[in-house]
Amino acid sequence: MEKEKATVPFKPVRLATSAALGTLNENYYRDLANAKADGKPVIWITSMTPIELIYAFDGIPFLPENYSALCSSRKVAAEFCESAEGRGMPQGLCSYALCMFGSIFEQRGALGDEGAGKPDILLATEGACATHPKWWEAMQRQFNCPLIIIDAAYTVDGDMLPEHHKSYLEAEIKKAAYELEEYTGRKFDIDRLREVVTLSDRASELWDEIDEMRAAVPTPVTQIDVFTCLFALVTLRGTREAVEFYEQLRDEVKERLDNGVGAIPNEKFRLIWDLFPVYHNMRLLNYFAEFGAAFVTDLYGNAFSGRVDASDPFGSLAERYLSFFMRSASLGKSELYKQRIEKYHVDGIVFHSNRCCRCFSAEQPETGQILREELGLPSMTFEADMVDPRIFDDAQVKARVETFIEMLEARKYPK
Amino acid sequence: MESEFYESYSKRHELAEGWKKAGKGIIGYFCNYTPEELIYASGMIPVRIRGTAENIALADAHLPTFCCSFIRSCLDQALRGRYSYLDGVVFPKTCDMTRCLPGIWKRNMKPPYFWFLPVPGKSNDDAVDFFTGELALFKESLAGYTGNKIDNESLNKAIKVYNENRSLMQEINKLALDDTPPLTGSEVYAIMLSGLILPKDEHSAMLRKLLDNLPSSQKTVNGGVRLMIAGNTFENIELMQAIEECGGTVVIDDLDIGTRYYWNHIEESDEPLKSLADGYLRRIPCPCKHLTQPRIENILKLANDYRVKGVILINQKYCDTHLYDRPMIENSLQQAGFPVLLVEHSDIGWAGGKFKTMVRAFIEMLE
Repeated sequence: MEKEKATVPFKPVRLATSAALGTLNENYYRDLANAKADGKPVIWITSMTPIELIYAFDGIPFLPENYSALCSSRKVAAEFCESAEGRGMPQGLCSYALCMFGSIFEQRGALGDEGAGKPDILLATEGACATHPKWWEAMQRQFNCPLIIIDAAYTVDGDMLPEHHKSYLEAEIKKAAYELEEYTGRKFDIDRLREVVTLSDRASELWDEIDEMRAAVPTPVTQIDVFTCLFALVTLRGTREAVEFYEQLRDEVKERLDNGVGAIPNEKFRLIWDLFPVYHNMRLLNYFAEFGAAFVTDLYGNAFSGRVDASDPFGSLAERYLSFFMRSASLGKSELYKQRIEKYHVDGIVFHSNRCCRCFSAEQPETGQILREELGLPSMTFEADMVDPRIFDDAQVKARVETFIEMLEARKYPK
Repeated sequence: MESEFYESYSKRHELAEGWKKAGKGIIGYFCNYTPEELIYASGMIPVRIRGTAENIALADAHLPTFCCSFIRSCLDQALRGRYSYLDGVVFPKTCDMTRCLPGIWKRNMKPPYFWFLPVPGKSNDDAVDFFTGELALFKESLAGYTGNKIDNESLNKAIKVYNENRSLMQEINKLALDDTPPLTGSEVYAIMLSGLILPKDEHSAMLRKLLDNLPSSQKTVNGGVRLMIAGNTFENIELMQAIEECGGTVVIDDLDIGTRYYWNHIEESDEPLKSLADGYLRRIPCPCKHLTQPRIENILKLANDYRVKGVILINQKYCDTHLYDRPMIENSLQQAGFPVLLVEHSDIGWAGGKFKTMVRAFIEMLE
């Protein structure tokens, strides 16, 4: 079959709002660099930590995972991972961790600078995986600063959240607030937390609104825009800046929607991206676009959105962080995709089998089987590492993409 | 005598099928954090689900090859029908892989009884209270499935039976405090493995018989360099034998399935569920629990008590939580004067020759 392949690599028209992200980024890193002078505590947190607590203490949260992603997109991850391995960190560790350790050891950062500096406090939540607290323990040995761990139990099924699971996490978050009082010397202010929670909720609401708009045909935003614009939700959730940014983003997406403007020209196929970005090769997403394949939904971004309620800040934070779709022992992700496949008019799913993130990749084959058997949804899988480019085989992955597209073409547009 | 233990382990599926035919119910379970006492008290026989060194045939369609060989092999064995005698299966929340497997197992194996046991990551009072509540739910579910009443009396009886087995296993370990231990490391390992399968009363009877007869047996092991092995679990008993062939002798371990399985006792009390929650959470932690320091201190204590010359630190390939511990344990041991050999292990495709070369060089260095 003849492939309709563009001769010039596809360059999407980026959202104007994504340019505003540059300013957010700059402001954030400036605040981080000035934290000491400003007398603000720098608290290093894991991705599924209730970040609202940090903002309630007027602290600066720093997410090493996000930073390693930045290092990867700035092409310094390979040397950082190598450096960490050279200093005795085992090969095969989560590359977020390896890359971050490399940056710490080298005292160099993503932007040719001296790196992220030091935390005043380390705070890990047993939120996404069992390795987060291990990684934070290892960093505590490095920095010799206080370590807070928020524990949370896993449920058998994310849809049925038992009350005692909620109260256990709620108590853990409250204890973390006491510890933060002790380590920062600041008084916890429940009204300030309510404000932050309101802002966090609003950012999530806007994110969900944008996510809903992606269901339009043609879809108005690219997956690259979604991944990049996620920064504000990941790092600034609970701030006014994040809300303003997402209002602007929502307006722009809405405008595209109203004018029938698609993110890519000639949208022919609509796909799901599962799950992690390949930070060192975001252009892979554009390669799909060359064949008219657009990504119309994903769960990665939604992992960071979640509604919270200022009238019950601790309780609703507990519920929100327990509702994260990977926090169960069932194959819950496939249920979430099933709900989206019709709504978003999905033709297929692409699995990024993320070699260093065993726990988020382990159930992909089963998810693929469920979607194929129950809904006839085709899938493709390619292996990569989200941060570390050293094992990535560009030609092989592209060949897979081409084969997958041919198959989709034959199914959707039979001759 | 020692070979009886190994035989019962290697014939574990035949044994279990025999129990099944005799009308017994059998529950498979994962990890050290499943309080087996509850299963025992329900009248069912708990058996540990294990993989083998056999190549993967069926599991690769369900799990990526970069998942640990233990979890892949367990699923593979189940898909091959080796665990068809199980009435049910229990998954505690321990490492990420043990949390990922239940959904896949349930969908493909359709076990009549299935339970996921949420285990907290911490071991403080709140965590113990939470876990006590979870054990009450587990107890109710087991009682509902079996139709048997589980009360304080039956639980305390189970705790007693299990504690007795723990004490006997520790006595076996203590034999190696002697300069010329009567049992080799691989013999002790086989004895321990059989305890994962055999009902504890039966296993304890065998242990007592062995201990009673030991004084008359010859002290067979001497001259071997005293070693400790720490880290993950492994299936190949040949690995222990290989160490002996290289001139070493393992006198103590800190393995997932090793001393950490039976080192801590459970208190008999009028609140047995709370005792179980307390005892299981406050045992020497698996690397998937927090914090790591108590485990490191225990490793150092054992290394000193058992006067080892060096430590083999064995890590299952792709086991994230053990990988994080590795540098911390390695540094702590070296600072305390114990040389460390790092071994990356996979039961599947295990290369005995390569392993022996490493161990031989390590032992030469120690001598």
